[in-house]
Amino acid sequence: MALLLEVEGLTAKVSGYTILDSLDFSLEEGELRVLVGPNGAGKTTLMSMISGQFKPYAGAIRFAGQNITGWPPDAVFQSGISRKFQVPNVYETLSVFNNVMVSLKGRRKVFATLFQKLGGEEADRIWEILEFVELADKANESADTLSHGERQWLELGMLIASDPRLLLLDEPTTGMTEDDKRKTAELIRRIAQSHTVLLVEHDMHVVRQIARKVTVLHMGRRLAEGPLSEVMSDPMVREVYLGKGKFQ
Amino acid sequence: MSGIALADAITKKPVRRVRRTPMLPRWALIGGAGVVALIGSYPYYGSNGYMLSLLGKFLCYAVFALSIDLIWGFTGILSLGQAVYFGVGAYFVAVSLKLNYTLTHPTRYGGKIPDFMEWNGLTAVPSFMAPLMSLPFAIVCALVVPTLLALLFGVITFKRHIYGVYCAVITLAESLILQDFIIEYQAYTGGFNGITDYSNYVGAAFLWFILGVTAVFFLTGRVLTHSRLGTVLKSIGDNDVRAEFMGYNVANYRIFVFCVSAFMAGAAGAMYAAWVGLVSFLDTGPVYSVEAVIWTAVGGRGTIIGPFVGAFLVKGAEFFLSGTLAEWWQILVGGLFIFVVLVLRDGIVGTIANWVRRRSAGSFRQIAQEADRKAHDRQRDWQAEGATRHGEEAR
Amino acid sequence: MTQSIITQFLSGFSVVAILIIAALGLAIIFGVAGVINMAHGEFIMVGAYTAAVVGKLGGNTLVAIPVAFVTVGLLGLLIERGIVQWIYDRPLETLLATWGVGIILQTVTKLIFGPELYYVGSPKFLAGGFRVIGRLPFPWYRLFLVIVAILLLALVFHVIFKTNLGLEVRAVRRNRAIAGCLGIDTARVDMAVFVFGSGLAGIAGAVLAPIKSVSTAMGFPYAVDSFMVLVLGGVGNLWGVAAGAGLIGEAETVLSFIFNNVIGRLLVFLFIVVTIRLVPKGIFGYYERR
Repeated sequence: MALLLEVEGLTAKVSGYTILDSLDFSLEEGELRVLVGPNGAGKTTLMSMISGQFKPYAGAIRFAGQNITGWPPDAVFQSGISRKFQVPNVYETLSVFNNVMVSLKGRRKVFATLFQKLGGEEADRIWEILEFVELADKANESADTLSHGERQWLELGMLIASDPRLLLLDEPTTGMTEDDKRKTAELIRRIAQSHTVLLVEHDMHVVRQIARKVTVLHMGRRLAEGPLSEVMSDPMVREVYLGKGKFQ
Repeated sequence: MSGIALADAITKKPVRRVRRTPMLPRWALIGGAGVVALIGSYPYYGSNGYMLSLLGKFLCYAVFALSIDLIWGFTGILSLGQAVYFGVGAYFVAVSLKLNYTLTHPTRYGGKIPDFMEWNGLTAVPSFMAPLMSLPFAIVCALVVPTLLALLFGVITFKRHIYGVYCAVITLAESLILQDFIIEYQAYTGGFNGITDYSNYVGAAFLWFILGVTAVFFLTGRVLTHSRLGTVLKSIGDNDVRAEFMGYNVANYRIFVFCVSAFMAGAAGAMYAAWVGLVSFLDTGPVYSVEAVIWTAVGGRGTIIGPFVGAFLVKGAEFFLSGTLAEWWQILVGGLFIFVVLVLRDGIVGTIANWVRRRSAGSFRQIAQEADRKAHDRQRDWQAEGATRHGEEAR
Repeated sequence: MTQSIITQFLSGFSVVAILIIAALGLAIIFGVAGVINMAHGEFIMVGAYTAAVVGKLGGNTLVAIPVAFVTVGLLGLLIERGIVQWIYDRPLETLLATWGVGIILQTVTKLIFGPELYYVGSPKFLAGGFRVIGRLPFPWYRLFLVIVAILLLALVFHVIFKTNLGLEVRAVRRNRAIAGCLGIDTARVDMAVFVFGSGLAGIAGAVLAPIKSVSTAMGFPYAVDSFMVLVLGGVGNLWGVAAGAGLIGEAETVLSFIFNNVIGRLLVFLFIVVTIRLVPKGIFGYYERR
């Protein structure tokens, strides 16, 4: 399959600290890739760089044949990348239904939205998504009445609504109960059947439930990459994870 | 629609309905028509000229408050210089009317130029002001110039993620500088005294005109805020970072609504100048802007009827009470600021709407808590750079 | 012409000093608690009236400074406890509420002192002045203002960087949540900062009273200038206050001399807008480590 995302020599520096150290990374179309690594490995920073939150210090990001390095977030989105934040990030004062509605794939220009009507097909699509994330019963409620887990699922629903080519999911199971985590993992597994997904995840149970291929980041570099079992038996990875690294 | 595997979700699909408020609910149309009829018929049943002039004024105030509600209530931009747009609109029309008035009513010294020009040693209308002799041109200016100014301001600030407190402070300064200009260049603006003594339009016909414009603006406001665009605006006011990562060019939306709002403010100013027959530098100042913010807050920001209710209530109270209360009226106004911020956060209309909406669902306590949380969430933004505000700490 | 501009530049120092004195109180409140105190101008005004009262009772500016600090500090305490403490997390609404406080303060002061202007003399030992190049008289009192500005900056530096309170303030400024988790009473820090900032506004009023007739409306222009200093200089860094005040004060003095007051102010405003368009957080803006 063709490469969808290509990251080349990506370097990120914040107040003198090197967070990402000329990282090379690529993702094939249709892949579900899990990004793991200890705290400070640069996982979230990588996501921020791809999604346009921060500009990289050096290096290039290519997505679907376009060089999207340094694009603003809305332009990155337009090229087909949607991002889920670590902390649930939904429109709290809007109803659950409207949250999904404003996220639907479609034109984003000011005057286009002015005359846009909610078509029957669109409404069906919204209901479909709400059923999928099991929030249809709460469609009319304001999003600030949702629980933590429900907000995470709503945000997942919003990402699905925007129908991207690549979903960036940053620790979607943070702060969830075991049951909720399983449910989330199942959702992600099903999303991945039709989308390319890049997932940051700490919880090894979740990783085991869904992972096909894993990339391990450490100190801003790629430490290992491959199928989960293979990577987890890699002595270097074990060192990093069990704390027998150079810090001892 | 890409074929995500949703087959099982579709098969067990029960009947689902969205609770949507109609864009123009019948009760609002009937109520609105009632208010229009009540105000519009005043010249035929009321004989009090003072009341009549107040009604026209209040309508202009209501439009001005609506313009603030669109940016502050719906999109979360607080401008303390909204009166700049009102004042620019008002001055264009006032200057035009004054120039035309002096053609037929020479000053004491026989000059056919406005008195304030004569006092400052001008002998003829300066060439750059001559086009304003044409009232239609002046009206176009009164509508277009505020909109362009707002566009310029928006491009400078919103494109760089400057809003919140910074935006408030900059608009405040902008407004003060315009006041300085008006006072300093009194030969062209009338300075401290403002522009007065011209034939203004008071009467049933012009009242109906103002009423019509007001009605159109309020309908526009309702349609705008209940369209998809309105939902996007609300989502931006709510969580601009999410909106940006969902592909919305947040700055463009802010600029658009800011321009619409400036257009309405300019129109309100133009009608005000024609109706009242007096425009002064106070009509462009921050004090006036903030006053209008409070009308909006009292009526209920984020609602369309709120600004109307607020403007009529607060201004009405001012006209009837400030005489008897003298200084104490000012203290009351100051207290009102604190009251709407601490207690009546959703304003009168918003509180009633919440109550109606939740009457069956929850207790007053829950309503209060919810209102509290909403107000809390509505304005977390005070940092200049918004793009990374909610973004988690990157490592 | 060139020489006159240089003398203007020198006399601009006193304008800079005035801006620093006026803006310091606002700066630490905005910098730490993140709220704009719209009643700041009225706090300065109350400080000036305090100086007027002290003057009537026979004291001079040096006596008025501590009295105004305490008076306005207490006023700040009252307002923080009564209003601001509930709305720290909603800065735009704090702005509106404190605007209301400003209106009330102006009106109450007018009710107590009447609408007439008060004049406060400068201390006797600061009467007269000296001449700088270009034969421009430079009153001793203006030099005194420059010294006060430097001393106040030093005082604030000392409080922020050398005291326990300052340590807590800096911790809260860096990361409010973590500071709270580590046992710092962030509400108390906010309160202390608000009171200290109010007290500084009081001092500003007391030392500005002799160069300005004291009236209920005197404070607002100072407040607006202070906002501009903060916007330009950046929030959360004291050098920002100095830099913002320096640029605005000098630019306004010199430009007003070359053109006129209004054009001068307009150019300064445009300069500020252009600057924050380039650096949205101001010259010495505080950039979080990300």
